[in-house]
Amino acid sequence: MLIRQSAGPGSGNGPALPELHRRLKWVALVGIGALVVLVGRLWHLQVMRGESYYERTVSNVVKERYLPSVRGKILDRKGVALADNRPAFNIYATPKQLTRPIELELVRMLGLSDDEIAKIDERLELGRKRDARTAIAILEDQGRDRAALIEQSLARLPGVEVRHEPYRWYPKGGMAAHLIGYMTQMTAAEADRLTNQGYDASELVGRYGLEDKWENYLRGKKGIERFAVDARGQRLDDATASALIQGERGVPAVPGANLVLTIDAGLQELAEKAVSHTAAAAVVVVEPSTGKIRAIVSKPSFDPNIMTGHLTQAEETMLKQDPRKPFIDKALRVTYPPGSIFKFATAIAALEDNQAPEDENIYCTGEYQLSGTTFHCHGTHGKVDILKAIQHSCDTYFWKLAERIGIDRIADVAAEYGLGRPTNLGLNGDASGRIPTKDWYDKTSRYKVGYATNAAIGQGDVEVTVLQMAMAYAALANGGTLYVPQVVDRLEAHDGHTITSYEPQIAKLVKTPPHALDVWKRGMWKVTNEPGGTAFDHGHSDVVTVMGKTGTAQVKKRHKAEADKDLERWNPNADHAWFAGWAPAEDPEIAIIVLVEHGGGGGVVAWPIARQIIDGYFTKIKAPPVPRPAAKGTAP
Amino acid sequence: MLLPRSTIGVSRWRRFRAAVDWPLILVILALCTLGLLNLYSATRGVRHHAKFDTQVQWMLVGAVGFVLATIIDYRAMVRIAWLGLGIAIALLLIARVLGRPSVGDANHGITYRWLNIGGMGIQPSELAKLMVILVLARVFQDTEPSSYAPRVLLGRLAILLVPIGLIAMQPDLGTAILLVLIVLSVGYLAMPSVWPMVHVTIAGLLAIPILWETMHDYQQKRIVGFIDCGMAPTKECWHTQQSIYAVGSGKIWGKGFLEGTQNQFNFVPEHWTDFPYSVWAEEWGFVGSVVLLAIFGFLLVWVLNVALSARDRIGAVICAGVAAMTFWHVVVNVAMVLGIAPVVGVTLPFISYGGSSLVTFFLAMGLVANVSLRKHGY
Repeated sequence: MLIRQSAGPGSGNGPALPELHRRLKWVALVGIGALVVLVGRLWHLQVMRGESYYERTVSNVVKERYLPSVRGKILDRKGVALADNRPAFNIYATPKQLTRPIELELVRMLGLSDDEIAKIDERLELGRKRDARTAIAILEDQGRDRAALIEQSLARLPGVEVRHEPYRWYPKGGMAAHLIGYMTQMTAAEADRLTNQGYDASELVGRYGLEDKWENYLRGKKGIERFAVDARGQRLDDATASALIQGERGVPAVPGANLVLTIDAGLQELAEKAVSHTAAAAVVVVEPSTGKIRAIVSKPSFDPNIMTGHLTQAEETMLKQDPRKPFIDKALRVTYPPGSIFKFATAIAALEDNQAPEDENIYCTGEYQLSGTTFHCHGTHGKVDILKAIQHSCDTYFWKLAERIGIDRIADVAAEYGLGRPTNLGLNGDASGRIPTKDWYDKTSRYKVGYATNAAIGQGDVEVTVLQMAMAYAALANGGTLYVPQVVDRLEAHDGHTITSYEPQIAKLVKTPPHALDVWKRGMWKVTNEPGGTAFDHGHSDVVTVMGKTGTAQVKKRHKAEADKDLERWNPNADHAWFAGWAPAEDPEIAIIVLVEHGGGGGVVAWPIARQIIDGYFTKIKAPPVPRPAAKGTAP
Repeated sequence: MLLPRSTIGVSRWRRFRAAVDWPLILVILALCTLGLLNLYSATRGVRHHAKFDTQVQWMLVGAVGFVLATIIDYRAMVRIAWLGLGIAIALLLIARVLGRPSVGDANHGITYRWLNIGGMGIQPSELAKLMVILVLARVFQDTEPSSYAPRVLLGRLAILLVPIGLIAMQPDLGTAILLVLIVLSVGYLAMPSVWPMVHVTIAGLLAIPILWETMHDYQQKRIVGFIDCGMAPTKECWHTQQSIYAVGSGKIWGKGFLEGTQNQFNFVPEHWTDFPYSVWAEEWGFVGSVVLLAIFGFLLVWVLNVALSARDRIGAVICAGVAAMTFWHVVVNVAMVLGIAPVVGVTLPFISYGGSSLVTFFLAMGLVANVSLRKHGY
């Protein structure tokens, strides 16, 4: 035992460690100092800033996400879906959690292309700016294999998830594509505006046609789901979540309304098939008694399924460079010279003014002289009266009438029938076209008599849309009621009950004297039903009596561009082929306009197409009005 | 030997019972209870619930250690302090050579903290802490000023640098720094003159740049990250941030037992070892946090009180050492949880999960009880 016996308190020799006693105040100082620092920090964190940290911890755990609303369908008049939804795998990521290594892992796992990586980076950037804690869609509509790859390695990909969501789908592909439209990602500018209206930045929006115009009805209302997650982003069970989430667990989504069209999918298909051999064409079929559009075709078309999120750069370039302009709706956006189908305006104007007596004959030599200019008729028709002039489409006869009544009278009647004015369908930039008058010429240059000559046969500066012509011929067919064209029949809730039903709207009651109309109609009858008629020579319908008028509109000659040469059956210098008419002759059910752009002669090219559609309608489509149960089959 | 008057003529057992430092034991029991309560909350869930049982078992082991450390005369222990330190150094070396390299995580690389004995992992660095305290008692038992001549002092402290260096190389920066703090604190409390300690301190501060160079990347990152998370966003930044959220979100009264979302849903990682105070602060709020600090404060005051009333220098220095160890553990750990110190692996006495730390503190408090028991010459 070598322990030195130091003085203890008991020994009365003072403290064992006097240094400690001496420095006790320093010890106390250090101890109290540490306590003040720690308690001060606690006060700062818990008392002064406690509330904001509390909210941070709640937002750590409680997340919100949108529940997608099912977009309303677009249905034909019999319930056939033209735009529907199908389930799709969308890949979502939370920007805050998707670090670079995880993103690289994702890229490696899925073998993403550079385009896709750029897209993901762009989305993440946008997401970070908005709310880095909310998951955003980074890849839409991915294949089953990609979804499976991700789902089996979720543990390695924190912040990534696969959601099973409805995705827009067009079961009929490119059918009526211009009418239906398509959907695309919103642009950055739109995103800023639309996210204030409850859109998610990664959502698709209607971009064209009805998808665009009826966006607010189709899209429904998104729901919100609140849920709780742990630190790894794994969802917590329901009971835990309920305890953590104050207030509502969520708001259910409201599905969008269905749009029921006046279009008949069967007829539409028939019409598209009928023009399938042409390079570019437009067809409008209208019900004369209501103005409801039964079919509306613009060719060439595009597949909205590709446009909606799957358009590759190459496809986009191809579509944009096509000289036939596939994205432009030829039924109502483009104006064309109508040619001879416009002659109804000239004829009716002259008949109204008693300037075209039925018993008067005019001699057509094939040439027509007017103030020093020679106009050439397309044939030498000899002695023609008004009916024969319509039947043979003799230009000379109508030039003569124009000389008598003047350009403004022709323009009056054309305007009565809605030509040269938007039809108010309100879609895809419904164009106005032009019906020239003396005033119009005086404003631009100076009126010459020859202008009336050209206008009388739908040439010169007369420009109309196919839809305008369809409404005008429907008015001729029904005896003078000009309707506003109608494509949307009603708006249905998703359960099928009608929300709003749209009634036919009359644009104007045209006051054409019955006898004038009667003469024109008898002329039309001859065109299609009597040897020598411009249509009759190229075929005859055995199914129904058709009344019609052909048109062959000359176009301004231009040089062929490179792109034009690549296309077969496309000659930008050829005439436009027109047919306008209706069937049956006496009690018209459908009025039809066919335009084959640069197709050639109306009788040779347009009439057989129109006949095919009309025959098809009366043999395959027409049936007693189908009471509409929710049966979702194809049209009978 | 003189005994307090009241104990004369009383049986040996009753005298023992009267001399036992019951307040110390009560404080330890209180801390253990709060620690278990906190651990129960921190490890609730399928993956970690076994930790609670393990901790209870370690507490029993610790209690036995406490009794042993109380009964065996501390003067006998101090006599073989150098041998003890030698054993601790040997164990550190063995751990270096034989110890299983535990791959902490990608950031930390391989570490050599653990020694596997009979299926249990123990940390020799914890033993080294106790041995350093005993060696300090031995070093400072002298009252002769000649014992504290700079040359002598440097020689002795240089020996202490061996275990500290080995621990720093494990690498376990937290424990190494803690040992340095203990040595310095005891030096300041026990040296007849503080000037040699001031010199040592200044020399140490000047050596920091050299130490910095020898540090591992992840250690440098932690420190840079602590100064500015934006400069080096590390995992520790995330830990600290989430820990601050947890503490702050407790507000005044706390979210309530088992209600801490940061804790329950693992936003503060490994919260049962290094961040139990964030769990506590989240669930019990400012009031609970201050109460826990107050209990530690009482413990420290009590240990210092024992130091003041110890019968000899050895006992007093042991208590000063234990007080310093406890103080720095609490301050460093709580400061780390509150985001005012870098994240270094320093435990919170009796609250943190882990056998080595728990047993070490039981043994250390056993030494204090030992000194307290013998203050009247028992």
